[in-house]
Amino acid sequence: MKNLFTIRAFHKSLISLSSSTRHFFCSSSSSASTFAIKNVTKSNFESALNDLRLYVKDADFVAVDLEMTGVTSAPWRESFELDRFDIQYLKVKDSAEKFAAVQFGVCPFRWEPHRQSFVAHPHNFYLFPRQEIKGDDTSYEFLCQTTSIDFLAKYQFDFNLCIREGVSYLSRSQEKEALGRLNARYKDRLLDSSSCWREGVDTKLVRVADILFSERLKNKIAEWHDGLLGDRNGASQTWKTSNDSKQQLKTIFFKMRPALDLTGFTSHQLRLIQLVVKNHFEDLVYACVAGESSSQQLIVYTDSASGRDLLMKELKDCLCKEAEMKIKAAIGFRHVIDLLSSEKKLIVGHNSFLDIAHIYRKFIGPLPSTAKEYVISIQKFFPYIVDTKVLLNASTVCQKISKKSSTSLSKAFALLCPQIASGVKTSGLADKRLVKVEVQVDNKRSLNWNSGAKHEAGYDAFMTGCVFAQACSHLGVDFTLNPSSVDLSHHEKLQEYINLLYLSWINGDIIDLKTGERKADSICSKGFKAHHSKILFSNTVLLWAFPAKLKASEIRECFCKVFGSSSITFIYHVDKTAVFIQFSKQELVSDFLVLKETLERSNDPISVLHPLSKVLQGGRTRAASYEVYKQICSSTISKVFFADQAEAVGIEWNAKLSKPVLEVERQVDFEASENQLYTDTRNETEIVSGIDPPLYMHSPTDELDSLCPAEAQMSK
Amino acid sequence: MLLQRRLLCTQVPKRSIHPTHHQNSNLNNKKWAIKQVTKSNFAEALEEIKTHIFNSDFIAVSLQKTGAFSSPWQKVLPFDTAEVAYLKAKYAAERYQVLQFAVCPFSVKSSKIIAHPYNFHLFPRDELKMGMPSYSFFCQSSYLTAMAREGFDFNACIYDDRIKSRIKIWKSTCQDSEKKTEDDLISTLRKIVSGGEVFGSRPSLSIDICSERQVQLILEMLHEFTDLVPLLVPAKGGGSQAIRVVLTSSNEDKNVFEKELQLMEEEHNMQVRGFREVVDLISTSQKPVVAHNAINEFAFIHSKFIAPLPSTVDEFRSSLCSVFSHIVDVNHLMREIGPLNKVNNLPAAILYLKRRFTRPLHMEIPQHIDGDEVRVHGRDVLRISELFAKLCLILRIVPESPEADYSTSSSTLECYANVFNPCFISSSDLLDDDVNISTEKTRRISVANLVFLWGFRGMMSARKLKSLLKGSHEVFSGEIDVRLADRNCAIVVFWAPGFAERFLEVMNSGGTNCEPIKDMISEGLRAACYRTYKRVCERSIWEPSLADALEKALEEASDLPEANSEEELPAICWDNDELTNLDDL
Repeated sequence: MKNLFTIRAFHKSLISLSSSTRHFFCSSSSSASTFAIKNVTKSNFESALNDLRLYVKDADFVAVDLEMTGVTSAPWRESFELDRFDIQYLKVKDSAEKFAAVQFGVCPFRWEPHRQSFVAHPHNFYLFPRQEIKGDDTSYEFLCQTTSIDFLAKYQFDFNLCIREGVSYLSRSQEKEALGRLNARYKDRLLDSSSCWREGVDTKLVRVADILFSERLKNKIAEWHDGLLGDRNGASQTWKTSNDSKQQLKTIFFKMRPALDLTGFTSHQLRLIQLVVKNHFEDLVYACVAGESSSQQLIVYTDSASGRDLLMKELKDCLCKEAEMKIKAAIGFRHVIDLLSSEKKLIVGHNSFLDIAHIYRKFIGPLPSTAKEYVISIQKFFPYIVDTKVLLNASTVCQKISKKSSTSLSKAFALLCPQIASGVKTSGLADKRLVKVEVQVDNKRSLNWNSGAKHEAGYDAFMTGCVFAQACSHLGVDFTLNPSSVDLSHHEKLQEYINLLYLSWINGDIIDLKTGERKADSICSKGFKAHHSKILFSNTVLLWAFPAKLKASEIRECFCKVFGSSSITFIYHVDKTAVFIQFSKQELVSDFLVLKETLERSNDPISVLHPLSKVLQGGRTRAASYEVYKQICSSTISKVFFADQAEAVGIEWNAKLSKPVLEVERQVDFEASENQLYTDTRNETEIVSGIDPPLYMHSPTDELDSLCPAEAQMSK
Repeated sequence: MLLQRRLLCTQVPKRSIHPTHHQNSNLNNKKWAIKQVTKSNFAEALEEIKTHIFNSDFIAVSLQKTGAFSSPWQKVLPFDTAEVAYLKAKYAAERYQVLQFAVCPFSVKSSKIIAHPYNFHLFPRDELKMGMPSYSFFCQSSYLTAMAREGFDFNACIYDDRIKSRIKIWKSTCQDSEKKTEDDLISTLRKIVSGGEVFGSRPSLSIDICSERQVQLILEMLHEFTDLVPLLVPAKGGGSQAIRVVLTSSNEDKNVFEKELQLMEEEHNMQVRGFREVVDLISTSQKPVVAHNAINEFAFIHSKFIAPLPSTVDEFRSSLCSVFSHIVDVNHLMREIGPLNKVNNLPAAILYLKRRFTRPLHMEIPQHIDGDEVRVHGRDVLRISELFAKLCLILRIVPESPEADYSTSSSTLECYANVFNPCFISSSDLLDDDVNISTEKTRRISVANLVFLWGFRGMMSARKLKSLLKGSHEVFSGEIDVRLADRNCAIVVFWAPGFAERFLEVMNSGGTNCEPIKDMISEGLRAACYRTYKRVCERSIWEPSLADALEKALEEASDLPEANSEEELPAICWDNDELTNLDDL
């Protein structure tokens, strides 16, 4: 997936190019509008959220896009052709769990019949997972992929703004947990009648200074205390505030009770005072209440035991409410997600499975362990999601327009919405089919706004929405006919595409959010040409930590010597420390694993001369069935090299031959030219009917990098 | 940009003013004359610091990282043995990244510290696209926020290099195209005629080789030709794959070319190694390196600039010692003074020493930095220098007369060097007495007497837990200490020998003959010995909660045969005041 960056970089350069040409064009026309996108940070979040509520409520659909601090936590975590459906999900899950979302683009689109155009409100939110409340620290730690950070930097991402001013957030589960903890604490506190604040104080008076200080304060408090009682009895006030040099003790009223406000003491001194109050004054209560800026330390007078209890209760309630307010305030950006969810709007993204996974992990809760559980859960929050990447690749109409070229966002945008992308005013018939989009930022409006040359989530969301609106029009959704807005979520022309997302673009695997299943007759496959092969996961073994310089061709040779020249269908590099080997027959998997074990146990000349010894040399070579790959992928650990990862996960030995849980055969579509797939012609004669020509995937040069996924396929 | 501007107006004796950083009135403004180094002024700063490193007596270092530990129990705790502390430090060093590396060569002359503080801004760029120096790294948002509050410019940190390299590329393309216009045709012709290639403007020939022996033979042979310069073409996996012979037109041209090569090589080294250069300088200088929390700092330094971290603390120590012969941890020196062992943060420690030991100590920073930019980054390195100097005076490590040389005192320093234990006592028995006298509250105890306890109901304070335990079984009737290691896990110290073992037996038997324990077990109480804790760290079971981690380690252990249970258990020192209190969590 790393190539995603290169591709995105390319888009952006295209866009910036086209935007500069636009300026060139527009300089002669009158309506050049260059107001900036709406950037939202801590300082303007409240007001932006209030405005956004109205926009979303009225919107026909809302486009979203995210910028993250990285995509893959290790090179082998990139998407491979050989990843089974369940593993593809695990890889996305790992990404969403480890990386932070630093920018969130939200762009509501509303059809305005009288203007015959859409009105878009692009918002660019800066996010930062700042810890606002105590609790689970691990959520406030995130991974950065160096290449991604570099990429963001290249597009002038403002890290300072993000870290200093980014909006923080709390997921639903974090909020629930925090409230639970709060309740537990205050239930506890109520039982504890001694003191409501820091009952743990047990400072022993050891130092002379402490004893003197305590004694002095005891006298002072006693004076004040007696003074209060004296006042009530009508006697003259003996306690003078002027007595106190720094005004450290000031009489105030707290909840209708006389109280001493303690200021200018150190925390150690405050502890001593607390001790004095506790030990010497029955009817005084030491309290700590939150003030406007900082907390206020008070000694409050209560006239009776019941009054005291009442005060304690009041204080506790006060503290509890305050803590609750703090939790509510920490929800932050999640309000936007809650808004999108509660309005049940159609959410539009571009190749958005990872984006949605991030949304789930950051704002809802921990990701479930299987794709099925996940999609069922996500549908509860977002019942209608549509993906422009799916739309562009699946619909023949859109394919025709995009001329089967890349369906990367910016290319699609440039092709489908030329009037917005480059400001070229087309006239006549062609123009009629183009959906007009007017952009509104605060009070400024423009019909040819394109001030998002930078790579930013808000602008990407805007492009996504434009592409979607145009694609809808091509699919036959006629906005102009409707007197009011169109119900896109239930539009018959779109039903075929709603709630379908690419789980992995490289495999062309589409997941149906309604069922959690892989879309069987992948509508996407139209976009793919070339060879078809079935990957038989049960025929596949994983081999790692073999001698460092061993090439795939050499490994293949060794295996062929032992199991026959047609025994290996292909060898595929995971990284330089690991390969997948697919056998032509399933039983060869166990044959190999058993043979490997026997060879390793015996140390006779036969085993040394055995053809496999080249692979097993060094004694560190490990092998396992495909299921172990899943186990390794589901670990939260991410070592750079696969062999280290396997070791860290604890798969030290020849992993036992676990029976494959499910026998999945997946049809994989390869583009030979780009993946260096070479049909092994020697095998063709032995192909069992029904199985397409097998392949092996190492390139003739055995260059590792040639196995990197082709660029064109990786773009978003 | 600001950094570059500063370079243009050098040596203007003007002191910086930082109106926003006055929290520590005892530290005057002049002290923050820390030279901030980014890629743009790196080469220049390198030259400067080279001189200072070789002319100073000590070098203080301090790192600014993207994080320290992801949950409370994963930081180095007072009850950790050296092994455990190292494993924790290793985990952190492999997980987080260094963003700033402050280096301060300094000397102590009577009551004066002469310091040259530099703060290097680093960013791990994956320039070579091979997952090096770093494929990815973790950030703790609190660390980034704290840095942002200090005015750290993340954009500068990340952008700086990029802009420079872009200009470089642009420049070199311009130069190339200029040249091309004149000898494009000639060079192509030359290529065809000679069957060779062109190296720069000079013709060259590649000789393929298949062994290092051949390399030697060819090099010997080439000696005979005065106008040929051999170049080794490195192979991907190390070694050489070919020799490229470049033909120079004259002796002068050869000299010019060789100089060019040298420059290219230096530049190349600089690009690939970058900040490594500074680390190498410190290493070759053989000067004592002073740090705060040395085990954490040096685990980072080792893993980022020296080599991947080895698996045991002993290997780490020997590997590190081969690079830095003397490492002094001001933390350990502070422990020498006794009650100071509680003072874990630098400003507080300095303040404490100022109050207790009133000998004046002046800091002098000869370098002047112009401009009014906030320059507080890396100030810890000055605090370390100051603290170290003060401690040296108090502990009489450094001679007080200005004539005396540092070398005479080095033997005194020797015994404080290279100690990586979180607890000083267990490290060297030599110093046992000292410590026992100076710190009344600290007692030495074998880790065999420590038991980890978890699975008690809800949130509980250590005190509550202690009273609960006291009434439950006779093993608790003796002297015990209970502390919380994190929110859900406590550590119990049995001061009477053998009681820990007895308690674990009771737990293993499911609390037979003891109803209160039986009840607690049924409510989920679990216990584990120190060995389980060690295994947690060894097996890298870094669960957010210690209780979960211990549980996992126990599960794993039950799969394996009980090994070396007779291994001798080290001792730690137990300080009643140092452990985490639930209220602080």
